[in-house]
Amino acid sequence: MQDMHVTVLQATIIAIWVALIMSRGLGGATLTLRFSPMMTGLIVGVVFNDIPHAMITTAAIQLIYMGVFSPGGQMPSEPAIATAVAVPVAVLGKMDPTAAVAVAVPVGLLGSYLYQLRFFLNTMIMKLTEKYAAEGNSHGLTLSIIVLPFIAGIVLFFPFMFAALYFGAPFIADIIKSNAGGLAFHILNVIGGGLAAVGIALTIYVIGKKSYIIFFLLAYFTAVVAKPLNITMVTYAILGAIIAFIFVLAKNEAANAVAKNTNTNSNNSGQADDDY
Amino acid sequence: MAKIIQESIDLKPESISKKDITIAWLRWYYANEIPHSFDRYLAASLMWGLMPILKKLYKKKSDLAEAYQRHLLFFNTQLTWGGGTISGIMASLESIRASEVHQEKSISIDDDLIYNTKAGLMGALAGIGDAIDSGTVQYIFIAIALPWAQQGLAIGALFPFIAFVLYQLFVGYYFAQLGFRLGRNAATEVVGNKMQMIIEGLSILGLFMMGILAASYIKVSSILKFNLSGKDFIVQEILDKILPGFLPLLVVMGLYYYFAKKGLKVTRALVGLTIILGVWATIEYLLVEYLKVIS
Repeated sequence: MQDMHVTVLQATIIAIWVALIMSRGLGGATLTLRFSPMMTGLIVGVVFNDIPHAMITTAAIQLIYMGVFSPGGQMPSEPAIATAVAVPVAVLGKMDPTAAVAVAVPVGLLGSYLYQLRFFLNTMIMKLTEKYAAEGNSHGLTLSIIVLPFIAGIVLFFPFMFAALYFGAPFIADIIKSNAGGLAFHILNVIGGGLAAVGIALTIYVIGKKSYIIFFLLAYFTAVVAKPLNITMVTYAILGAIIAFIFVLAKNEAANAVAKNTNTNSNNSGQADDDY
Repeated sequence: MAKIIQESIDLKPESISKKDITIAWLRWYYANEIPHSFDRYLAASLMWGLMPILKKLYKKKSDLAEAYQRHLLFFNTQLTWGGGTISGIMASLESIRASEVHQEKSISIDDDLIYNTKAGLMGALAGIGDAIDSGTVQYIFIAIALPWAQQGLAIGALFPFIAFVLYQLFVGYYFAQLGFRLGRNAATEVVGNKMQMIIEGLSILGLFMMGILAASYIKVSSILKFNLSGKDFIVQEILDKILPGFLPLLVVMGLYYYFAKKGLKVTRALVGLTIILGVWATIEYLLVEYLKVIS
């Protein structure tokens, strides 16, 4: 049993994983790896040989990052970085998932500054891209567009993550464990349980028209009332899809009816919509 | 004369196939944000995606270098809806231009047209694509898998990841081919009526799933207990009798109106809510301890 201790190998594997995500080296798939902590949580669980605890903690962290994505490339906080530090802390300190959430938030903020620094490095590499483009040098372009930015990302993120894990995680876990129970723990739990609301409120704001909040309320009270029935998410998703379909259908029918009434003399106007 | 004809045949642009478009899409998908920079954003990624096509179209090195430079101007959009469609359209426009260059006709697809097409589409498609892919579809997959993760199961992480990657590969492929087929007219199709209906339906489904998540996972409750003349009053039980789930809903709606009023200040909301909840937890905890002591 290795208490409060991260091995060099554990820190290295997780740091490489995070560096791959943050340098975007895994291609378009890194989009969801960066916005969602889930896969990073799983990797940490595998590395620390405690998948169940890691997944439970990651699920709590996911809730505060619901709705977080980066319109225009800017992120307020980096979920993958936050998870890579907070989950080891939770696993080492045998902490409640909600308390780990309170650790994740500041770490994620630090990570977002590093991501900005990556853009800066890429801006300098861009000069090389311009030169190769003017020469029509295809191999040079691959070097400056793919290889060099990838290396820059790794060099930037690997040492940071390694240090945060090897030195930082046991230190934080130690502090939290020594205060186990009592006021500090209660505060961390309350904050952790409430912060999930930020992600959800953000998603509602971004995806929906204001008047459609009624669908959020419908689902909210349905779930509150039906809690004892243990209905699965897939069932709820199907229910939601049916409701969405009915609404769009009804709205479209109504719009068609109006269009027919107003344009009775030009009967080719409604055709364009349904021929593909 | 024969030499000139031979040269003309050597420099003839090759025709662009469906497979070329697929390769361009996959290259853009891979390069997407790797060279992300402050001054050009994702321009180099799209250019790297189009490279094999440009090489097929422009056999003269100076023409090729010009094409490379043409696609290095500022470009920023979303991965599948924006990037897929625009890489298809660019391939289509460049193949028209290449044949005009080769036949020494006047060029109708000039630099301005190419850049304006990109600039006109990248914002609109990024808005649609971000809201649908990253903002809705991704979180519907996550919402479905979250209960599995909460039970400590690895599938809770694997399902949303695999489902979302497959979704994006498929959707982007579809848009790239569509963009190539439609060329200049692609924009109207993507922002057309049918698409608007799908977008609306997805946003309703997304909101619905957020309601389920909010009810299931936001944990705001009161630990306050009073003992008045031998009778216990538990605040949370009283709240549940009036309206179950009232406190979590209050927090979500409060945050929603904060975002609606002040814009998307996520960091500030996180820090602010942390302070409010922290202060509240402290007061409640101390009050409960105090009531324990005096009773």
